[in-house]
Amino acid sequence: MAQAQATTAQEPKVWGGGRSPFNVSYGKIMMWLFLLSDAFTFSAFLISYGTKRFFSDVWPDPNKVFHAFPFMGHADLPLVFVSLMTFILIMSSVTMVLAVHAGHYGDKKGVIKWMLWTIVGGIAFLACQAWEWTHLGHLTGGLWGTFTDPASTIQYSQYYDMAKPEVAAIINQGGTAALNPTHNFFSFFFTITGFHGFHVLSGVALNVMILVNTVNGTYERRGHYEMVEKVGLYWHFVDLVWVFVFTCFYLL
Amino acid sequence: MSAHNHDSNNIQHLYEGDQSKLYSGIMSHHSDVKSPESKKQIKRIWRVFWILLVITVVEVSFGLAFSYTMSRAILNSIFLILTVVKAAWIVSVFMHLGDEKKSFMAMVLIPLTLFIWFIIAFLADGSFWLHMNNTHP
Repeated sequence: MAQAQATTAQEPKVWGGGRSPFNVSYGKIMMWLFLLSDAFTFSAFLISYGTKRFFSDVWPDPNKVFHAFPFMGHADLPLVFVSLMTFILIMSSVTMVLAVHAGHYGDKKGVIKWMLWTIVGGIAFLACQAWEWTHLGHLTGGLWGTFTDPASTIQYSQYYDMAKPEVAAIINQGGTAALNPTHNFFSFFFTITGFHGFHVLSGVALNVMILVNTVNGTYERRGHYEMVEKVGLYWHFVDLVWVFVFTCFYLL
Repeated sequence: MSAHNHDSNNIQHLYEGDQSKLYSGIMSHHSDVKSPESKKQIKRIWRVFWILLVITVVEVSFGLAFSYTMSRAILNSIFLILTVVKAAWIVSVFMHLGDEKKSFMAMVLIPLTLFIWFIIAFLADGSFWLHMNNTHP
């Protein structure tokens, strides 16, 4: 820290040129700007989900929709599986930040170890999501567009809190009154978790590339592990988005 | 190697390497990952992990325990506040934004205030739409 203060004191002209005014390298600034734009993309999805929800008289109850766990049969375990997914993603974020930390100290072995754990976490999350999609696909008879046919027979009681009389009254009408909110809920669910899952998948691919470069000694020769930090920013952002997806779909 | 270069006329080191305030000068001074300052930083990372884990457990247990008993408005406010707290910890410590310069934090955070307007405008539009749909079918 003393080093950082000394550097600042020596260079009074922050915007005078010849140095980075933010004390952040070009690549890191560009990664932050990309993540800002990506934050707006995700928020557009989540806010349009909220708009549709505010537009609807009834909305599926997450405690009813998401209550299954692999190999537990028909046991009623609301939110347990998604908690596991959240734990996996937080954990992989921790191992990523530990890899970045090791990189700053030029600790090649540490970077390799923590990058490996991060990749394992990412793959575990994707596996969980694959299971959840398969499960919901079986439940609803498909992924997108399952609820567009008003003639199809849908067991609404497995998605809605029928104990509430005002919900039951609308759902029992059937037709578009029950069909539209169900269709909207699942369309947004598969679109948003799919878009997030694709981010996780690309994150895993980037992490593998960084790991290969680390093992090959590319960053050791370069003298710094800044690439680990830049890809780390992306990985944390994926975790950050999941925090909001988790709240919007499973809690609210 | 650029990280070992102390010559300020070499422009390369301004754009690459150990730039952030938190880690400034560590590599050029050959600090060890087992040094006390490194261990302090690792401890902070694990502390944030526990904070995030506890918040998530609280969220899920509130969801399980109070979904059908507590007022939805209060419960949702709790969820939203806890979500923003979690996000703040991730951005501040894991993404090291809290360790960057104030001007850089402002560059990232100020555009995000647009979300306040987005959320209010679009949700209000949604509920007005519902109102019109129910009163003028």
